[in-house]
Amino acid sequence: MSSTLSSRRAASGSPGFLKRSQPRYGEKVIKVLLVAASLVSVLTTIGIVIALIPPAGEFFSKVDFGEFLTGTNWAPLFKPASFGVLPLVGGTLMVTLIALLVAVPLGLGAAVYLSEYANKRVRKIFKPLLEVLAGIPTVVYGFFALKAITPVLQSIWPAGDGPQIFNALAAGFVMGIMIIPTIASLAEDSMSAVPRALRDGAFALGSSRMQVSTRVVFPAALSGIVAAVVLGISRALGETMIVAIAAGGQPNLSFNPLEGMQTMTAFIAAAGIGDLPTGSTGYQTIFAVGALLFVMTLVMNLLSIRLVRKYREVYE
Amino acid sequence: MTPPSDATGGTRIPQVAFRSAPSLAGPVFEVGSLSVFYGDHEAVRDVNMTIGHRQITAMIGPSGCGKSTVLRCFNRMNDLVPSARVAGKVHYHNEDLYGRDVDPIEVRRRIGMVFQKPNPFPKSIYDNIAYGPRVGGFQGNLDDLVEETLTHAALWDEVKDKLKTSALALSGGQQQRLCIARTIAVKPEVILMDEPCSALDPIATAKIEDLMTHLAREFTIIVVTHNMQQAARVSDRTAFFTADVDDAGVRHGRLVEYDETERIFSNPSDQRTEDYISGRFG
Amino acid sequence: MSSKVIDRDATIHQDAPRLKGKGTPLRERVFHLSLWVSLAVAVVFLASLLAYVLSEGWSRLDPRLWMNFPDYIDPTQGGAQSAIMGTVWVIGFTAAYCLPTGILTAIYLEEYADPDKWWNRAIEINIQNLAAVPSIVYGILGLGIISRGLGFGQTVLTASLTLSLLVLPVVIISSREAIRAVPQSIRQASLALGATQWQTIWRQVLPAAVPGMATGSILALSRAIGEAAPLLLLGGLTFITFNPSGVQSQFTVLPIQIFNWISQSRAEFVSLASAAIVILLAILLAMNSVAIWLRNRYSRTW
Repeated sequence: MSSTLSSRRAASGSPGFLKRSQPRYGEKVIKVLLVAASLVSVLTTIGIVIALIPPAGEFFSKVDFGEFLTGTNWAPLFKPASFGVLPLVGGTLMVTLIALLVAVPLGLGAAVYLSEYANKRVRKIFKPLLEVLAGIPTVVYGFFALKAITPVLQSIWPAGDGPQIFNALAAGFVMGIMIIPTIASLAEDSMSAVPRALRDGAFALGSSRMQVSTRVVFPAALSGIVAAVVLGISRALGETMIVAIAAGGQPNLSFNPLEGMQTMTAFIAAAGIGDLPTGSTGYQTIFAVGALLFVMTLVMNLLSIRLVRKYREVYE
Repeated sequence: MTPPSDATGGTRIPQVAFRSAPSLAGPVFEVGSLSVFYGDHEAVRDVNMTIGHRQITAMIGPSGCGKSTVLRCFNRMNDLVPSARVAGKVHYHNEDLYGRDVDPIEVRRRIGMVFQKPNPFPKSIYDNIAYGPRVGGFQGNLDDLVEETLTHAALWDEVKDKLKTSALALSGGQQQRLCIARTIAVKPEVILMDEPCSALDPIATAKIEDLMTHLAREFTIIVVTHNMQQAARVSDRTAFFTADVDDAGVRHGRLVEYDETERIFSNPSDQRTEDYISGRFG
Repeated sequence: MSSKVIDRDATIHQDAPRLKGKGTPLRERVFHLSLWVSLAVAVVFLASLLAYVLSEGWSRLDPRLWMNFPDYIDPTQGGAQSAIMGTVWVIGFTAAYCLPTGILTAIYLEEYADPDKWWNRAIEINIQNLAAVPSIVYGILGLGIISRGLGFGQTVLTASLTLSLLVLPVVIISSREAIRAVPQSIRQASLALGATQWQTIWRQVLPAAVPGMATGSILALSRAIGEAAPLLLLGGLTFITFNPSGVQSQFTVLPIQIFNWISQSRAEFVSLASAAIVILLAILLAMNSVAIWLRNRYSRTW
């Protein structure tokens, strides 16, 4: 029974026999590698900030910040140029609002159904379907909005002038469908995290399934549900291709969803396609609008992250 | 199925000198004023005990009395809990286990551990046994080592035809004996067992107890158990732990009494031990 | 004898309290129906979208589509070969950059990082935020830093670096979930046998987590395949009539090519775009199916 294993080992009781028999540099190298990989994500954020700030700063050295935020005319590439960002913000908010009107009821409805009503088999069919919906490229959604939804809206419009070829309504509607999986899956997660005992208690008091869903589960999961909606808002604000294709390229400060309007993202994309020279004011508008968009979504994201933590703390 | 072979008829189990420290007759562990903290909470307070060579030491007591926590100090498994901190003396063959240069990996290769729930790796039976030697840089013939180890753990006859099948297909009792076999494949000196039978039925438990009795010829065994009969059946010495509740309502584990098993069960010196043994609390 | 039994039943029913309700109330049914409709809308939308692109693109779903290069003079002879090859190149390099980085980050956060330390919490919140940063902002990063700042230009390299940063949070988050699903008892068993931490990770944790990580990685890459916005911002990638030959090549990808064809006014381009969409969706559907299959095949209950 001679074994290499035990013979290599220092005998118990000999001085320092519990110390490392050979140095393990490998373990240290690996740890350094892992930390380095983790820093890539930190560098990404720093990179985004570095990409945004200097050009945006230069832009605001030429354009008054107050005029940028409150101006109602966006015409950066015309002469005389005008840099009021409100039409882009208005377009973004209009499309986002329409998307939420579609996505919040349908997404939460789907979440309640999957979490409280559906049996295992139904869930097994519908959850992958929602994933497929989430996996469709936004360029395809945009194409469908422009070529299929808008013509249908135009043909069924009951009275007056129907939607224009490019309009906020079709883009917002399709974007709403796109956001359904985001809202449904996060909301369902938070509802599933509500302990069984809470439901059982309510059922034992004679509540119906609807009462349990709306009066017990929904309030208990509220922070997660709000997080889902907030994340949905963030996605809507940042979505580019659908609006670039279907909502049009004209800045238009209007409250009429049947008109075309340009969003912040669509402007950035359009300016990018133009391949503007580095350092020009036109090039810098990309970064000024981008910085504004980044700040808006950052606020939403941090809010959503906070809310998700809250429900995890309560039930996990 | 192999019937559990007992001490007198156990010809199937070869008696091999399995350890790297043949020359030692002194105590294996000396524990003095040991306290374990989780964050600010002192989970175990002021434990003093000496653990003898090739003995089975049982640690009994009600749940939450800190016996598993103490067990995990013996092979530094407490290191894995970020908030855990150990104070006091834990000496292994006169070497401080918590000394500055001590390598917990080296410690665990000498002091193995078997857990409460059987936890075989999701790999074949063979790979489960071979894992410890492989990560320890074993250079010899693995096939021989696996056979020898399984024979030693009285499991060879049951599994020799399915070494390549998943360990998860074994029964709970077989899984736990595989986990014991896996531990002795590394050729440790000490085996720590943390309630090894609590997830098993009485027949499987009996087999493990037989195995423990056998292994005690080669190994020093420390076993935490909820089962007082088990402690009485298998162990040479027994340590009884309980939990004090302080003024603030916080529980601190404490070693009440540590003596020959026979004495603990027939004539304990502390009233609390007697109450526990006779089933009056716990 | 049987009649006796029936009689007894009848008596019991007469005396027993009424347990039968008056049927499900209307508002319960309406509620249930409206929940069901919520899901149905999504499914009907998905079905009509697929039906639409298939019917529009059917006439152009032939070898011209993948054999030919884009042709703006005669769209009937145009194809998407350069875009398909561009997608293959860009996604290949994206995978090469983001999968190792993401998986290593996940290992660090799950196995090494102490969650009580502020810098580890900061890394974690940072990743959660990055997962929700709009893709066009990654485009700005690609344009400002990678393409013009580092001078990599409008190349496969720039595009794949940009996309790998974009999907990195997805890879990290899904890999972490897969690693977390490996039970603690396996790690303890390995460490108790004297394995080092990395041996435990390499030989026990990662093999058990591979199916989950593969599922997450495939989903992350399929997101990268469909992305157009960040690459659009890199500029000038719309009319490419050659396949990439290296990381320094100019290129186009399928979503960009599709966007470009959608922007054309002639009707032939609509069917061309639809046909290219069918190809794109087929690739994505295949990847999704593999991911879902992997998940169901290897999902283990410990």
